[in-house]
Amino acid sequence: MAAASSSDSDSGRAESSEASSKWLDAHYDPMANIHTFSSCLALADLHGDGEYKLVVGDLGPSGQHPRLKVLKGPTVLTESPLPALPAAAATFLMEQHEPRTPALALASGPCVYVYKNLKPYFKFTLPQLPPNPLEQDLWNQVKEDRIDPLTLKEMLEGIREKAEVPLSVQSLRFLQLELSEMEAFVSQHKSKSIKRQTVITTMTTLKKNLADEDAVSCLVLGTENKELLVLDPEAFTILAKMSLPSVPVFLEVSGQFDVEFRLAAACRNGNIYILRRDSKRPKYCIELSAQPVGLVRVHKVLVVGSNQDTLHGFTHKGKKLWTVQMPAAILTMNLLEQHSRSLQAVMAGLANGEVHIYHDKALLNVIRTPDVVTSLCFGRYGREDNTLIMTTRGGGLIIKILKRTAVFVEARGEAGPPPAQAMKLNVPRKTRLYVDQTLRERDAGTAMHRTFQTDLYLLRLRAARAYVQALESSLNPVSVTAREPLKLHAVVQGLGPTFKLTLHLQNTSTARPILGLLVCFLYNEVLYALPRAFFKVPLLVPGLNYPLETFVESLSDKGISDIIKVLVLREGQSAPLLSAHINMPVSEGLEAA
Amino acid sequence: MYDILVISSMKNLMCYCSRIVVTCEHNAKGENLIMTPLSVKICSPAQEFPILEKQNWLIHLHYIRKDYEACKAVIKEQLQETQGLCEYAIYVQALIFRLEGNIQESLELFQTCAVLSPQCADNLKQVARSLFLLGKHKAAIEVYNEAAKLNQKDWEICHNLGVCYIYLKQFDKAHDQLHNALHLNRHDLTYIMLGKIHLLQGDLDKAIEIYKKAVEFSPENTELLTTLGLLYLQLGIYQKAFEHLGNALTYDPTNYKAILAAGSMMQTHGDFDVALTKYRVVACAVPESPPLWNNIGMCFFGKKKYVAAISCLKRANYLAPFDWKILYNLGLVHLTMQQYASAFHFVSAAINLQPKMGELFMLLAAAVPSFFVAVALTNLEDPENARRAYAEAARLDRCNPLVNLNYAVLLYNQGERKGALAQFQEMEKKVRLLKDSPSLEFDAEMVEMAQKLGAALQVGEALVWTKPVKDTKSKHRSASASKAASLQQPLGSNQALGQAMSSAAAYRKLPSGAGGTAQPIKPPSLPLEPEPATGAQPTEAPAQIRETQE
Repeated sequence: MAAASSSDSDSGRAESSEASSKWLDAHYDPMANIHTFSSCLALADLHGDGEYKLVVGDLGPSGQHPRLKVLKGPTVLTESPLPALPAAAATFLMEQHEPRTPALALASGPCVYVYKNLKPYFKFTLPQLPPNPLEQDLWNQVKEDRIDPLTLKEMLEGIREKAEVPLSVQSLRFLQLELSEMEAFVSQHKSKSIKRQTVITTMTTLKKNLADEDAVSCLVLGTENKELLVLDPEAFTILAKMSLPSVPVFLEVSGQFDVEFRLAAACRNGNIYILRRDSKRPKYCIELSAQPVGLVRVHKVLVVGSNQDTLHGFTHKGKKLWTVQMPAAILTMNLLEQHSRSLQAVMAGLANGEVHIYHDKALLNVIRTPDVVTSLCFGRYGREDNTLIMTTRGGGLIIKILKRTAVFVEARGEAGPPPAQAMKLNVPRKTRLYVDQTLRERDAGTAMHRTFQTDLYLLRLRAARAYVQALESSLNPVSVTAREPLKLHAVVQGLGPTFKLTLHLQNTSTARPILGLLVCFLYNEVLYALPRAFFKVPLLVPGLNYPLETFVESLSDKGISDIIKVLVLREGQSAPLLSAHINMPVSEGLEAA
Repeated sequence: MYDILVISSMKNLMCYCSRIVVTCEHNAKGENLIMTPLSVKICSPAQEFPILEKQNWLIHLHYIRKDYEACKAVIKEQLQETQGLCEYAIYVQALIFRLEGNIQESLELFQTCAVLSPQCADNLKQVARSLFLLGKHKAAIEVYNEAAKLNQKDWEICHNLGVCYIYLKQFDKAHDQLHNALHLNRHDLTYIMLGKIHLLQGDLDKAIEIYKKAVEFSPENTELLTTLGLLYLQLGIYQKAFEHLGNALTYDPTNYKAILAAGSMMQTHGDFDVALTKYRVVACAVPESPPLWNNIGMCFFGKKKYVAAISCLKRANYLAPFDWKILYNLGLVHLTMQQYASAFHFVSAAINLQPKMGELFMLLAAAVPSFFVAVALTNLEDPENARRAYAEAARLDRCNPLVNLNYAVLLYNQGERKGALAQFQEMEKKVRLLKDSPSLEFDAEMVEMAQKLGAALQVGEALVWTKPVKDTKSKHRSASASKAASLQQPLGSNQALGQAMSSAAAYRKLPSGAGGTAQPIKPPSLPLEPEPATGAQPTEAPAQIRETQE
């Protein structure tokens, strides 16, 4: 009954509420201490007993203590330390014979560690990269003491500038050294052969020659030196090598190695390259103009999440099919495959603590999680077919089981108008007073206008008069005479009884300095005392601001203040160039005393 | 340690070493881990060099997930281990710096990367990008050119070069580079930039061509759709404009620009209620948009809810006090409300604010408010100023006979027969000109008024021009509106277009409101009128207001 109601109420809307959720909350442990990426999660029947385990390549809380964890149900079955951080985990069938228990491969640094029955079985190390022959030659010469370190250094510099093949770490380190240390370094390292090692960045599996569920698979490795390698599942030899223009980050493979396959590699330069069986070089290229954060293939559509919060669908020839905008940044993506209903969908863990499930463009389901989900995995776990495993940023583990009756229904038809359309417009109200004023204006508009015009003229007249007066008595703070363009402003500081009066004088002419100016203070001598009431101004260089400081002592204890007039004069002229009236503040120091 | 190293002979290395110190400072935060004497390490006999790229994948994963704190921690660790040799770690550190706004630091780090691997175009690209963000477009172009030598088939380099050239106003080069970019790989962004160039050059048709191609390439990009719609709107191709704006709204029903543009089109057609419902969405998203409140105000005006209209327009005016269109609309509404004093203030403010550019649209727009001022002043019984305003309107206007007619009436009422006659003749001239364009039709009231005035002024040939006018009268009205629209089109940039449309709507919406309410104005506004004008007087005001929309 519950099932029926759930599917009914869910039709038409993708939101999942408590009652009608499609998921059973199987397990939530916020303290599970699992820190990993989707690529390091794998589900497999490791012991061949029909009980699927979860393999986690755990990076440790701060990337310090990498561990391989195997979980059965909610509990950790085994846990073993790893030599380096795991980049990817995969389970695959190595050979045909019974019992058909899958092997576990863990890529870490330059190695792939293969486990069988959870016991170390094989360690594959990436072959050394060929060193630069010139570089090799140089070090050989050093070995035979034919060149000195300085020459070596210069030669290596030359190689670094031009060569296609990068230098080895040894040479790079050597180039960093000081003169005094070179000898020691050379004598210590000259006997060693130079090495260039690369690391694995990503790994996936590719069926060898059969499309069956339980067919033998090859490992496909992406390396830091921009190559893709396909490994033989039994002998661990390199079957194929393909090169890419950039470092692969995510891989998505379909087909069989021996027949025909397509390989999509999302790379660090923001492009996705698509290769086919016979191509040593990428056949198609999708330029995203953003960094891909996940790559999932749903049937024939490549779904790419970009770090611009969008999900794109591409054909395997690189044609863009659709784009969906996400409400938040995508952190991780994985495939949801429900075999019973032959449904394939994309799960995307978002930064706002939601997991969105999309089928093409259509949002099927939203799962809200207590913490931000950083890795996702869907598949058979334990004995339950459709289990969703999520780990969170805080190291939590969430396990949800898809209800067997749950059917994902796409939200059909038009989305309808946005909810904002139903909101009322917030039109500002007008008051009674406003209406009255309007009516008054209608009645007496002419009179109002005339009054206004009269007042306006009067105002203009007064302003003009005041301006003329100011010009006549040089009361304005800016002098615009051709010879002495000056600007003056004054600042009074202090609480009293002593104030500091600072005059800022500026020559606003473009090129001409001004010489021979005088400053004079006019004040009530009963109220104020100034050390110098009259002094010369130094030469004013154009553009610079000259602060002229003087102290003013307030003599009155009655809390009276007065105006101090500042006059800027020119030697030999009686009319001031500029004048300023400074309203002195009341001396508060005296009042308090 | 590194400071001494700087003595080394090679120039590049010098740069590189000093940069590494920077890196250390940023990443080791003074823990001096990188600064530990190398000799100690060298002394340990069984020293294996770490793999430089060991944790690049982890750095990258943290970076793309925007988990910058974790990313920085890994970078720091990696740089300590490799003594600053890990190029990718420095690269991502620089990217993060740039995202955090420390462009100068990021530039320095990118330069370090470029030294570490001089053959990598990517590093140069990022150096150029940082330079670009710092506003050093010329330097950016140089570096991009360097990068282009290393990688010739990179659309990004071409695109960014194009953008740099746009900023340097070298449109031809920009054009070439952007076309190169499109040739290599098609991206929406390149189309947008290319369209922008054409718009900057004022070539609407080419811009439309580009946007059309862009929409073909990515049909769901709402920005492209909206821009194309607005361009069509600007050209007066309403059908296509509406189609594209509608498409944009299907993909993104909350697209602010598209709603505003579509709403103003609805307003033009009188669908005020629909437009208002659409505006609600915008009001939620961008509640402080002046054009939005202006348009809402004009919707209410169209619905004859004048108080609400004034409220909304005043809010728009509060949000954008220097927008002359809003002031103009406010004046219009107040005029309708017979609040002539307020109307006068708003319209004169609009005239004062409006830029006086020599373009046709500007002239037209300048004439209309002047004309309004005159109308307001006439009603305010301020004949002196009214005359001046009319004179100004008549000076600015080129094709509107009503300005002259009204001026003539005013002058006649003032007792200046001569001046009235001159204006009347001016009006006839304009009418003769307009007569040739068959789509235009004259208002009945205007014709009647003109005849009366002609009789009063004893101008004999008045009949000569009224007859053909009467013939054209049968033509449908909408044509005149479209003419006005086409006159008002060439206005500025995309952003301004929404506003422009709204005011265009406003101009045209005038009659429905003004025609009705302006009737009761008739009171004897001009006291000195001689007998012949008395009959004409009542119709004068409506005629005046109605004219403006044509």
